[in-house]
Amino acid sequence: MADAGTDDALEVKIDWDCCMGSGNCVFWAPETFDLSDDGHAVVVDAAATDEGRLRSAAQGCPVGAITLWRAGAEIPLEEHT
Amino acid sequence: MPGLSSTADSAAVPFDPYELKDVVGGTIKDPYPAMQALRRISPVHSGPIDLGEGADIGDPDKPAPVTVFGYDEVVAVLRDGETYSSTIYEEVMGMVMGRTILQMDEPEHRSIRTLVASSFRSKMLERWEEDLVARVVNELIDTFIDQGRADLVRSVTFNFPVQVIARILGLPREDYPMFQRWTLELTSVAANWDRGVAASAALRDYFADVMEERRAHPGDDLISDLVRTEVEGRHLDDEEIFSFLRLLLPAGVETTYRATGSMLFGLLNDRDQFDALYNDRSLFPQAFEETIRWEPPVCVILRRATREAQLAGVTIEKGADLALLIGAANRDERKYPEPDRYNMFREQRQHVGFGFGVHVCLGMHLARMEARIAINTLLDRLGRFTLDPDAPPPHIEGMAFRSPLSLPVVFSPGG
Repeated sequence: MADAGTDDALEVKIDWDCCMGSGNCVFWAPETFDLSDDGHAVVVDAAATDEGRLRSAAQGCPVGAITLWRAGAEIPLEEHT
Repeated sequence: MPGLSSTADSAAVPFDPYELKDVVGGTIKDPYPAMQALRRISPVHSGPIDLGEGADIGDPDKPAPVTVFGYDEVVAVLRDGETYSSTIYEEVMGMVMGRTILQMDEPEHRSIRTLVASSFRSKMLERWEEDLVARVVNELIDTFIDQGRADLVRSVTFNFPVQVIARILGLPREDYPMFQRWTLELTSVAANWDRGVAASAALRDYFADVMEERRAHPGDDLISDLVRTEVEGRHLDDEEIFSFLRLLLPAGVETTYRATGSMLFGLLNDRDQFDALYNDRSLFPQAFEETIRWEPPVCVILRRATREAQLAGVTIEKGADLALLIGAANRDERKYPEPDRYNMFREQRQHVGFGFGVHVCLGMHLARMEARIAINTLLDRLGRFTLDPDAPPPHIEGMAFRSPLSLPVVFSPGG
C-alpha cells in the first residue's frame, strides 16, 4: 500500500493549537510519533510507519490534529464506506 | 500519616459485584439488536426511544432528547464541543464528584487537563507496571491458585483496579480496605445516594490529610505529582485536586474492571482466539482494542446542545440532551463488518470506546497497561484456563455500563 518511491514522500503535520496530547497517535504508530515534554505530539520519523497505519493514526486522532500530505497536497482522510 | 479517623472500619468489606447490577448497569443482556434496528432507520433519533427498558417520556416542556446510534454522528458530536457541551455532567456527577474535567468545556477543560495529563502518559506509566500492577494481580491469584477453579470477576477483575489506584496514589497499605469501601460506595451512588455522598465527603477529608503529607514529603506517586504540577505558572488548587482524585475512582476503577472482564469473556468463549493470544502476547493490543470496540465498559456519553443544530438530517433543539450510544456506534455495520463478533484479527480501525474529541479517556493508556499485565499474568500462572463446565455459562449484561458479572473458570496451573 505504501508508496515505496522516494519522489513523493508522505509528510505528516500536527496542528499544535489543536493537539491535546492524548497519545493516541503514539499508540497507533509509535515509530512515527512521540510526545514532547510539554505534552504535544511530535513527528519523529514519518517514513517509519506504513501509510495505512498512518492513516489510522490520523483518522483516530481524537481532535483531528493530524493531517497527511504528499507533494504539497493534503490527502483526504475521511472514508465513506 | 493519613488517619483512620472516620466511621469506616478497617476490616475487609466483602462487596458483591451483584449489588451494583440492577441500578448501575441495568440488567439487559443484549441491547444491540434493538440499537441496530433503530440505527438502520436513522443514526440519530429525536424524542423518546425504547431499548427494552421502556421509553423515558421525559419532560414535555424540555427540548426533545436525542439519541445517537451512528459512528460518524457520534464522532461529529464529540469533535464539536462548542455545539455539544459537557456541562450536562454538572447535574449528573457534580453533586457527588465536585467540579471535574468531565463537566468542563474549552478552554477551561484544557487548562486543567494539561496539568494532570503528564502523569497518564504511556512513558510515565512504565514505572508502575511490574512493581505495582503485576504485584497486585499476583497477590490476588495467590489466594485461589491452589483450588483449581475460581470466579475471575470476584477474585481478580473486580479487585485489582482499586488496589492499583490505591498504590498509584501511594496510600498506606492498611488504608486499602477503607479506600476500597469508599470507592465502591462512591461509584455505586446510584444504588444508595446518601451513602455515596457520605463517601465523597469522607474521601475529601482523607485526601486532605494525604495531600498535606505529600506536600511535606513528596514521593513517586500521583498525589505528589498533582500537588507539584505546574504549567505556565498555573497550579491545581486543593478543590481541583479533590475533584480529580474522586473522578479517578469511577473513571479508573469501574471501567478497568469491566473491560478486563469483558476481554476474558470474549477469549473464554472463543478458544482459537484464546490460544492465539496465549501463544503470542504481542497480539494483546489488538485483542484489547477489539474488546473496547465490541463491549465498551461505558456505553453512553452525554452532551447538551448549546444551539440549534442539524445531525444526519435531524434537527436538534437548543438545550436538548444527547445520549451518544458508544456501544452502538462501535457496532455500526457501515464501519465494521460483522460488528457483533469479537474478532481480534479484524482490520484495526479507530473506535469510540474511549470516547473521542478533547474529552477522550485520559486513562486509556493506564487501562491498556493494567489489562495487559492482568491478563498476561493470568495466562502465565493459570495456563489455558477454561470456563467451568459445571457452572452456568456467564454472560455480559448492562445498559449504561456493561461487563460479565461472573467468570467461573477451571485450570491446572502451568498446564
